[in-house]
Amino acid sequence: SYLSVFCLGPGAGQDVGRSCILVSIAGKNVMLDCGMHMGYNDDRRFPDFSYITQNGRLTDFLDCVIISHFHLDHCGALPYFSEMVGYDGPIYMTHPTKAICPILLEDYRKITVDKKGETNFFTSQMIKDCMKKVVAVHLHQTVQVDEELEIKAYYAGHVLGAAMFQIKVGCESVVYTGDYNMTPDRHLGAAWIDKCRPDLLISESTYATTIRDSKRCRERDFLKKVHETVERGGKVLIPVFALGRAQELCILLETFWERMNLKAPIYFSTGLTEKANHYYKLFITWTNQKIRKTFVQRNMFEFKHIKAFDRAFADNPGPMVVFATPGMLHAGQSLQIFRKWAGNEKNMVIMPGYCVQGTVGHKILSGQRKLEMEGRQILEVKMQVEYMSFSAHADAKGIMQLIRQAEPRNVLLVHGEAKKMEFLKQKIEQEFHVNCYMPANGETTTIFTNPSIPVDISLGLLKRETAIGLLPDVKKPKLMHGTLIMKDNSFRLVSPEQALKELGLAEHQLRFTCRVHIQDPRKEHETVLRVYNHLKGVLKDYSVQHLPDGSITVESILIQATAHSEDQGTKVLLVSWTYQVGILENILFKHLCS
Amino acid sequence: MEAVGAGEEEADEWLLLSLRLYKDLHTFELQAPTRVIEWARGNRVCVAGYGQSGGHEILQLLPPPTLQAKETQGLCPERDFKVECGGFSNRPVYSLKHVPDTSLLVTSGPPDSSLQVWQVSAEDSDVIKSVSAIPTENGTGQPWAKIATISARAPWVLHGSRLNSVQITEVESRKNVYMAASRNSEELSGLAFLDCNTLLLCCAKGQLCLADVRQPQSPLEAVSVPSAPCGERWCMGVGRGPQGSDSSFQPVACLSSGGHLTLTDVRKTSEYLASAKCRVPSASSGAEFLCVSWAPALEGCLAISGFDGTVHVYDTQSWDSSGKEAEPIFVHKGHAFGEWDSSGGPPLVTVHTWHPQKPRTLLSAASDGSLHVWDWVQSCGKCG
Repeated sequence: SYLSVFCLGPGAGQDVGRSCILVSIAGKNVMLDCGMHMGYNDDRRFPDFSYITQNGRLTDFLDCVIISHFHLDHCGALPYFSEMVGYDGPIYMTHPTKAICPILLEDYRKITVDKKGETNFFTSQMIKDCMKKVVAVHLHQTVQVDEELEIKAYYAGHVLGAAMFQIKVGCESVVYTGDYNMTPDRHLGAAWIDKCRPDLLISESTYATTIRDSKRCRERDFLKKVHETVERGGKVLIPVFALGRAQELCILLETFWERMNLKAPIYFSTGLTEKANHYYKLFITWTNQKIRKTFVQRNMFEFKHIKAFDRAFADNPGPMVVFATPGMLHAGQSLQIFRKWAGNEKNMVIMPGYCVQGTVGHKILSGQRKLEMEGRQILEVKMQVEYMSFSAHADAKGIMQLIRQAEPRNVLLVHGEAKKMEFLKQKIEQEFHVNCYMPANGETTTIFTNPSIPVDISLGLLKRETAIGLLPDVKKPKLMHGTLIMKDNSFRLVSPEQALKELGLAEHQLRFTCRVHIQDPRKEHETVLRVYNHLKGVLKDYSVQHLPDGSITVESILIQATAHSEDQGTKVLLVSWTYQVGILENILFKHLCS
Repeated sequence: MEAVGAGEEEADEWLLLSLRLYKDLHTFELQAPTRVIEWARGNRVCVAGYGQSGGHEILQLLPPPTLQAKETQGLCPERDFKVECGGFSNRPVYSLKHVPDTSLLVTSGPPDSSLQVWQVSAEDSDVIKSVSAIPTENGTGQPWAKIATISARAPWVLHGSRLNSVQITEVESRKNVYMAASRNSEELSGLAFLDCNTLLLCCAKGQLCLADVRQPQSPLEAVSVPSAPCGERWCMGVGRGPQGSDSSFQPVACLSSGGHLTLTDVRKTSEYLASAKCRVPSASSGAEFLCVSWAPALEGCLAISGFDGTVHVYDTQSWDSSGKEAEPIFVHKGHAFGEWDSSGGPPLVTVHTWHPQKPRTLLSAASDGSLHVWDWVQSCGKCG
């Protein structure tokens, strides 16, 4: 049996690729993630679904779609795929992902269509229609997609709601990790999976050849930057997405302010608090224990040093830190504040995540310092622009840990550069004795599996076979005779006699007969005697008998002689045997022909 | 789903303290601990595994951009090491040296004193390949060889585990070009090329010897110094003299497992240049990881490690030869917040090295697999 995996579309070599993987398992076709390529501005950002089918509806070709988490490089093309290309089957994702996806998709749509004026893009209605097809799943809940295909989500860490998925058909299974991380942080736990022994583990490997600086040191860097700016009287703007690192960064700053006895005010834009509170309430089980404890004790965003923001505060003199949405500086409060503070070099903006092309965030991160705003106004950016990457991904150590947990039979790594991964491939192969694949995008990888098919064996047959001789040995498979009955979805192995009885059939015996011509002018019974004596002499290990009716038997082979109808000088030997004989007939023919 | 370390509060505390103590700080976790940190071509860093279980990896790492630039650039999001190449060694790696001007590495480790030669070819593949082995006569059962490399006349490796087995082998041809004339079987703790003709050998018991490559027949010249406390194990660090001085003036720093530090001028060996006692616990592991090194860009400064989970930096310019206790100008404590090992002890710093250009930047590794890169702030007068 085999599995095949196909990675859709380009993406290798880019900093931010896109995830969209097709898996074919035991006749079922599953699409894993449906990401947007953030580096392209045109149709290349969408995966090329014509790989699945040139014509005909995708619904007929795919049994289901699974989305691992809400990042746009994993779900950004979903509305395009389901509404513009056309797919009506089920789309599976976790509850937080289902809640958050539409918000991000709508934000993304707004930026692309309203800000950049693009036309070939999905609409708000399409996002809504797409989400209607979503079936939300819980962690560790086995979901039957159909009679044969089932899926199960596992905790992946990384971002709120991110999951790794196990896809199972019969006893063949594939685990897809999406993005995950193996070290817990201040608000999320680490990914975890049981020893499910899938035939294939598909893991992301963006950071496989990286040894990541610890979370603590990144936080330290963040604190240092904020502290330095505030010390010199500057203002720090931190644009955030409500459910990203905002919560974490707040806890961090609060601790720091308390410890260092700092006085500069820290603010939180109110829209942020409401939304974030709402989601954390809904998805509290997805966060780590510390957050849960905090939440139970008090409102998540009730801090001693962090207060609600009012737009008037942006004009206050002196140092301050403000967390405001949206995260990419593309609209709303964070953009308003940015415009007020950009002209002062004492100030700083810290971008905590990736920004989509076209946003102010993306522009300033690319180094642009003169921005064209509405009404052709030019904004000169003198404030310091910093980027803090807090995203949690698995590095080589994490990948090894996950493989150790799941014990797959094969490993497939996506998103790496194959040339530079030979070492990791060898490492995985050596340590776990599994095959490690690193396909390029657009390549199909076929993995052969050895599915184990459970068969019930009848007691009678088992007793008979074990009575014959040696005990079964795993290294030496024993040959046994039985009849395999496949009925409904079960397999049974019974003795032939029992099978015949159950099926109400009588056993037939097949005999094969062959003619051997011998030149012998004597009478038939003399020919028979001659043949009998000859065979008796050469086949000493076998039982050769001359029967009263004139026929010869060699074990169960029967030999009779008749005269040739047209030629008296030729005798025809009829050699007849049952199908079970085997070697003997070869030896016999050799001797007869001699 | 969550692993809350016992020392998380203390770790957080130290992190906040570190804001004042360090200009820059990175902490990494290697999959396996290393006892070597070696600078290779193009500012790469090599580390390797040494543990008991098999499958030891040799890794060549590309440091994050913050380490490569002379000044820290404004926007530097990349804080990670990239594993550029890796190789598999079937024996633990106790010593690793890059052969200058080549893409070769030489390693050594138990169970004998032979050497392994590796080729790093980062362009077409990311695997470090084993090229050859340099066996040593009667090498079985001998302690692992100490190594030093130079590429003056040709790529050479100086190696040996005892005074009587010191030799120089040409790396590519594996031809022996020098053999020390000594019958002394004293165990070595280190060796170095003072220049392309002069060798300096340090015995584990503390004795220093000089040799001239051009005169293989003459016996090793023992560098006679006032008797050092015995019963201790010693190691050495060789540095460059201050700018503008005689280029052959190279103070040798010797560190003992009891925390004694002595500075010697190999030309004037009748007395120590300076001597001090470091305030360190006596080396619990028996001085296996003792390490002393001179700062390449900070005059008179050296660092020591191997006693516990810290690295001490000393300014030796004010030292005299009285041997009294010296105050470090900085102590890096970061490794003490790592995971405790199975025997219940805190992590032990296995090795440290200085950044070749950035004056206050060091790299240190510990027995828990941690690898730290730190740029400390020179406090005025007092110890941080």
